[in-house]
Amino acid sequence: MPTILRAKCIVVGDSTVGKSALTQVFHSDGTHYPKNYTLTAGVELLVKAVNIPDSNDCVELYIYDSAGKEIFYEIVQKHWDHPSVVMLVYDVTSETSFDSCAKWLERVRSQKPEMQFPGVLVANKIDLDQRRVISPKAGKDFAQSNGLEYFEVSAKEMQQVEAPFYFLANEFHKMYKERLEQFKTLA
Amino acid sequence: MFDVASSKAGAQVVLATSADEEYPPENIIDGSQDTFWVTTGLYPQEFVITFQALMNINTVRIQSFNVRKITVGRSVSNEPTEFELLREKDVESTDGQLQEEEIHCGGNLTAQHLKFTIQSGYDHFATIHQVHVDGNAVHS
Ligand SMILES: Nc1nc2c(ncn2[C@@H]2O[C@H](COP(=O)(O)OP(=O)(O)OP(=O)(O)O)[C@@H](O)[C@H]2O)c(=O)[nH]1
Ligand SMILES: [Mg+2]
Repeated sequence: MPTILRAKCIVVGDSTVGKSALTQVFHSDGTHYPKNYTLTAGVELLVKAVNIPDSNDCVELYIYDSAGKEIFYEIVQKHWDHPSVVMLVYDVTSETSFDSCAKWLERVRSQKPEMQFPGVLVANKIDLDQRRVISPKAGKDFAQSNGLEYFEVSAKEMQQVEAPFYFLANEFHKMYKERLEQFKTLA
Repeated sequence: MFDVASSKAGAQVVLATSADEEYPPENIIDGSQDTFWVTTGLYPQEFVITFQALMNINTVRIQSFNVRKITVGRSVSNEPTEFELLREKDVESTDGQLQEEEIHCGGNLTAQHLKFTIQSGYDHFATIHQVHVDGNAVHS
């Protein structure tokens, strides 16, 4: 029997960076890309199971696609208690969205400061090469100094969309295995 | 008075919200502190112990790790339904050793089932190593 782990994955970042596009592309296995913008009002929950390689285990990701618009923040925040893993998204064509990353991270960390949780920084819309203003180096540096894993993706081109989700699921699973080793020493 | 929650006494864990077959919920009542049940992510997490018969409960002792808040409910019906909250406990965090909580019920409290709900934890994963319930069967 496979072991099913459950992780709450909150997806955060400024409005229009592509959080809903990424989660919907991932959730639909690449069959659905929301071309027209529909703003997320509050939080949308999507669930997707990820199989962990070289094991019988699977991680069910409870993905909380959160609104980036400031007016929803008060509602959104209420859904953020006890996150297991975090996905922070910005748009490589928007300097503002990159500058906001520190703020979003701070907001997430203020939820549960004593618990360590795996996180990724996702640079989206890399298909818009001509309009790109945030370099890979700037993204990597920010990720590194904040303990996040860095990914470049395009929801539109369905490029690398699964990678950050898989990474988070695998990190969560790894953490579980590590904790089990600790638990075995307790008695 | 003896441990009415042990599998030797005919008790069973009839429900648990996490299942890793290497760490099954039966470990909670197997009489050994070495084995445990582990939660596999998110809270709340729950398990229900059903006794062999209706019991008078004196003390409930819980050995755990990473549990922050736990509630205990009892039911006197045949089926594990209609639970009534008995106690809510904030558990201190421990480092490298098991948490121990005791709940005194006075001895005239009856239960057919006890439901334990881990409301929150100090980490993503928590364990229950052992639940011990001092009590005896209600003679009618
Ligand atoms: N070119 C391009 N456009 C994208 C990409 N990802 C998303 N978009 C577009 O960007 C717009 C906003 O995407 P959403 O996913 O709705 O943005 P969001 O972050 O969920 O926004 P809020 O819900 O307001 O927080 C939509 O029109 C998408 O089609 C991408 O990788 N490349
Ligand atoms: Mg959205």
